Formats: sequence, C-alpha cells, structure tokens
Amino acid sequence: MIFNPQIILEKLPEIGSGLLVTLILWLVGIAGGVAVGFLVATARRFGGRAINLGLGALVEVLRGTPFLIQVFLLYYGGPFVGLMLDPIPCGLIALTVYAAAYYSEIFRAGYAAVPPGHVEAAECLGLSRLQAIRRVQIPEMALIVLPPAVNLAVILLKESAVLSIITVPELTATVSAIGSQQYAFLEAIFVLAVIYWAIVEATGRLGRVAENRLSRLRTANA
Amino acid sequence: MLKRHFLKAAVSLALFAGTALSAHAADDALARIKAAGVMKVGTETAFAPFDFIDGGDHAGLNVDFFAELGKDLGVKIEWVALPWDGVLPGLEAGKFDFVAGPATITKARLERYKMTSPIAEATVAILKKAGDKTITKPEDIAGKAVGVGKATAQLAQLQEYSATLSKKVEVREYVSFNDAYADLAAGRVVAVANSLPNIAFVAQQRKGAFEVVTPAFGKKTYFGFIGKKDEDSKTLVDLVNEETIKMKKDGRLGKMQEKWFGTKFDTPDAVTDPAF
Amino acid sequence: MTIKLFTLLLQAAISTLGISLISIAIGFVIAIILSAATLSHKSIYVVPARLFISFFRGVPLLVQLLLIYTLLPVIGINVPSIVAAIVGMSLCTAAYQAENLRGGFESVPRGLIEAAEVTGLSPRQTFFRIRVPIALRLTFPALINEAIMILKSSSLVSVVGIIEITKMAQDLASSTYLPIPIFASAALIYLVINSIVALIGRFAERSLGGAST
Repeated sequence: MIFNPQIILEKLPEIGSGLLVTLILWLVGIAGGVAVGFLVATARRFGGRAINLGLGALVEVLRGTPFLIQVFLLYYGGPFVGLMLDPIPCGLIALTVYAAAYYSEIFRAGYAAVPPGHVEAAECLGLSRLQAIRRVQIPEMALIVLPPAVNLAVILLKESAVLSIITVPELTATVSAIGSQQYAFLEAIFVLAVIYWAIVEATGRLGRVAENRLSRLRTANA
Repeated sequence: MLKRHFLKAAVSLALFAGTALSAHAADDALARIKAAGVMKVGTETAFAPFDFIDGGDHAGLNVDFFAELGKDLGVKIEWVALPWDGVLPGLEAGKFDFVAGPATITKARLERYKMTSPIAEATVAILKKAGDKTITKPEDIAGKAVGVGKATAQLAQLQEYSATLSKKVEVREYVSFNDAYADLAAGRVVAVANSLPNIAFVAQQRKGAFEVVTPAFGKKTYFGFIGKKDEDSKTLVDLVNEETIKMKKDGRLGKMQEKWFGTKFDTPDAVTDPAF
Repeated sequence: MTIKLFTLLLQAAISTLGISLISIAIGFVIAIILSAATLSHKSIYVVPARLFISFFRGVPLLVQLLLIYTLLPVIGINVPSIVAAIVGMSLCTAAYQAENLRGGFESVPRGLIEAAEVTGLSPRQTFFRIRVPIALRLTFPALINEAIMILKSSSLVSVVGIIEITKMAQDLASSTYLPIPIFASAALIYLVINSIVALIGRFAERSLGGAST
C-alpha cells in the first residue's frame, strides 16, 4: 500500500468548499448557540420557577441524547410533521439548538459564580438592575465562562462532522467522498484528521490569548 | 441475537491474540478460512433486496447466497456490516475476506479488485414519487435534486449522465440508499438513481409511494461480489466464482432471484469488459 | 411503534452500554498515566502526553474511529470491529479524562502535599495516597459528565461495524418508515441511561463526602 495524501490534496477546490461549509456551520452555530444559550440562562435565572423548570427539562433532554439522534429526528422526522428543511439549514438549526443547551449551562454557572453582593453593591451605587447586569455581572461572568465556552466551541466543531450523515456537503463528507472516488481511503482520513486538528489547535490558542487579554483588562480596570 | 453477537465479539476479542498468531500457519486466505471454520463477509445492510434489515433480522439475496456458499464450503459465515463507503476500505484493510454488497462490476473496480460472476443486472435507472408528472423520462431530472448512495458506482454513473444533460443534476450523496428513499418520500429530492433490481423492489414494497421511470439511463451493467486481487486471495476468489456459476447452473441462484426480485434473469458467466 | 421494535432497541442498548462502560474504564486508566506524565515536568513524558491529548481532543471521534479501523491493519495490527470501537472510544475519553484529572491534581492544596512529605511519605506514596484520592474526589463530577459524553458518542461506532442503539434505530426507521417514533424511542433510551448515570454520580458524590476540600 502506497500512502500518498497528494491524491487528496489535488482536489483542493473541493476540500476548500467543504471546509468553508464546515466553518460557516460552526461559526454560525456558535454565534446562535451563545445568543440563545445566554437568553435561556437569563430567562432561567430571572424568569421565575415555571420557566426555569421548563427550560431546564429541555436542556436536559438536549444534553442527554446524542447529537446524531437529534439530527435524525429533525431531518427524517421533520417532514412527517410538516417541517421540511434542506440539509444545510437543518444542520445549522440542529447544531445551534445543541450548542444553545450547552452554552446555557455555561452561562448559568457563570451567573452563579458572580457573588450577588457585587450586583447589589452596584445597585446601591445607583445603577439600575439592567445596568448592574450589563456593567457588573456580564463583565465578571466573561472571564469565568470563556474557558468552558472555548472548550465547547471545539466540541461543536467536531460534532459538525456528524452532519455529513444527512448529506450536508461539509468537510468530512467532501474529503471522504474524494477518498472513495480515488480509492485513497486512508489518505482521506489522514487529511481530515490533520485539518480538524489544526483548526482545534488554532482555536485553543486564540482562546488562551483572549483569556489573557480579558484578565489583564480586568486587573487594569480594577 | 444482538446480545449473543456482543458476547461473541467479546470472546473473539479475548481470543484475538491467539488467532492472530495461529493464522500465519496456513498458506492463503482460503486455507485460513477453512482452518478457522469461519468466513467473514463485509456488507452494507441498506441495499434491499440484496441486503437489508427486515424487522430486525438480516435478510436478502446475499444472506441466502452466502448461506449456501458456507454450506458447500463447510464454514460459518460471519457478517460485518458497515456503511457502504467503509466496505471497500474494510476489505483492503483485511477486516473481512470478501465483500457481498453486491457491487456493480465496473472498469475502475476491476483494476483494483477481483469480481465474481454476475448475480444480477445492475443497470441504473430512476425511482420517482408515484404520480409525479414532471418526470416521465430520465432526462427530466436535469437541473433537479437527485439522491444516490455515497461511494457507489451508481453515483459515478449519475454524475456521468448528469454531464450530458442540458442542466446539471444536483446530486445528493447519502450514506445509504435507504436514506435517499426516505428523502424521496419527504420530497427533498425528486428522484433516486439506483440499479433496477433495487428500485423495482422498493417500488413494489411501497406501492403507491414510488414508481420506476423507464428506460434505464445507465449503460448495461451487472452486480458481482468483490474479493482482493492479491495472490493470497486467488484461490478464495476462484472458489466463490466457481460457486456462483455452480449455483446458476443448478438453479439455486434462479430460485433466489425469483424469491427476491419476483423474476429470473440471465447473467453472463463473466464480465471482462464492463460498459462503464 | 410496536413492542417488538422497542425490544430490538433495548437489545441494542446492551452494546451501547457495554462498549461505553468498558471504554470509560480503560480510558480512566490511560488518563491516570497521561496526567501523571503531564505533571512529571520531564519533557520526554510531557511532550508525548500533551501531543496525545491534543490529538484525541482535536479530531472528531468519527474520524478517529475510521483512522483506527483502517490504519492499524496497515501497521500489522488487525482488530475486529468491537476492538476498534473500544480502542477509539477509550483513547478519546482518555484524553478528556486526563485533562480533568490534571485540573484535579493541580487543585490539590500545596499544603497537604507538603504535610505528607514532612510526615515522611515518599513522593510515590504522596502521589498515590494523597494526591490521587483527593484529585479523584475533586474530578468526580467531571468524570460523570465524561461518562455521559461517551455514552452519547457511542452513537457513532456503527461506522466501524457495531450495531448499537442509533444504528438499530436507523435500520428500523428505514424498514418501517416510522422515523419519529423510532428515533424518539432511541432518544428516550439514551435519556434514561444518562439520567441513571447522573443519579448514580450524585449519589456517589454524596457518599464520597462531596468535594469538601
């Protein structure tokens, strides 16, 4: 057996388009997940008992079942209840919802980690509730939630590979298809591993840089 | 059944080191199969009527064929089910001795593998939703979304055909043809391109849901089983090939065709120069 | 959705459970070695351990499984599906568990370690009798989380030929054309298993005395 990743790399434009789909799904999924997750965590904290329990149950279901099963339900089950989504929108929605469940837990922990005294103190100083949340609670939370949020981003990138199973033309689908076409199976898997690894490493570095900046900013302000 | 499968696997895991050593004693693939009393066959279980899961049970022409082969050979058949795009890599990696599939006999595959005498026709045609007036002939799929299995010869033929049309087909590659049929029913694709015996079976199983569009758009091709091309597998491939021809002659294959396709058909004894 | 279909899913759950539990256990052992290596301050141990952790955390499990299934035979190790699945999941979870453990080890109060050394415990004794038990207690909740992650990840092992809940659900959904009840039942089975794991975790945490340090 001759190992020659060149066979795969010759199809650079196709790999590029797969990579692009993966990156878009991933980044939009993160952005959507962070936004929805933050709303969910905020609603659970300030929205009363019923909302907290309802959303909590939903979050547990999403965190307690495999992403693949959720994707199958949405993609193959959807049309039976009149929800017909094309592969990319379906993948995007599934990834965002899954991300939101996990991000909401990170933000919930973040809320819990900021001593209530800080917000109360801000309110005593004459800030409104909203101002206290925006100026005190969120900046303090940012430093706490950043490391797990970056970790989760990495997990989401890897989960996005699962979307190849519902015909989303992302990186895994594209590269493995090239591998089958060229009978270069091992090379395809190898190329995939390297690309994902590179993105994950870069993300980790970026996360650490952001963490350092944020903590320096905080100490400078204090 | 599954529990047994799992236990068996656990036991084979325990025996793994031992068998790996003793395997070197025999001279070639066939001798090793005979010595072990087990032939491992790789397949995909989403390719009705050749290979599928029927209410939890593994069924289809493949199962019947290899059961007969195992009887003739005096060995047990052990199935390894993978997604289709993992089956040929699995064969090359030595995960199993043979591939059931079956797989379309193509030029590209003959360059890399040995393929047995054909067991059925594999010519590719279109399956559409029943009553879909917009597709009455194959070229009507131009510019539309069509589903097909990943890493299949049907995919390659659809791509070739698409290039000849006025507007290219939007090809969607599914992990299995079953998923493509599900999306045809849902309406995400307007057609599925697969071999005639497969889509005829699906249309017949789900009357009123799907219809086959004639004529076939693909070149005339045949299905066969796949073995490795190396010297080590030579006697094994020859044997499976002889068995296939034997089953054709003594009418066993004809009976299987009748059972699974509702009809018998003639296939050549060998395909040396495939049309695709 | 019939009882027969649900029973088939439950039978497939045995594979899911078996593979996941074995992988978590093997992964835990590897994780202890890895975390000891990363904490050793000797680069011949630290560098390979870090590389291992980085790789198995950085590549999708789907890709790892395929890599192990097709790559190992090339270097002369041909493993059956079940072994490939367990090896893939064990290595992946080992990388995650090692990171958790490292965090746990680093949170063991310095004073406790110094106290152990002062009382005459050797570094090895200090490691196994003081640091390991405390780190385990500290990282127990993370271990339970990881167990749930692995149970969910096992939904991918059908790519190397294992029939577990998800693959069974796929096969049944395509032969019965009932995707919603079947995938929903599969989801329910995962949810029940994971809830039980979480409950056991909470119970064990309480009887361990919690992370009181």
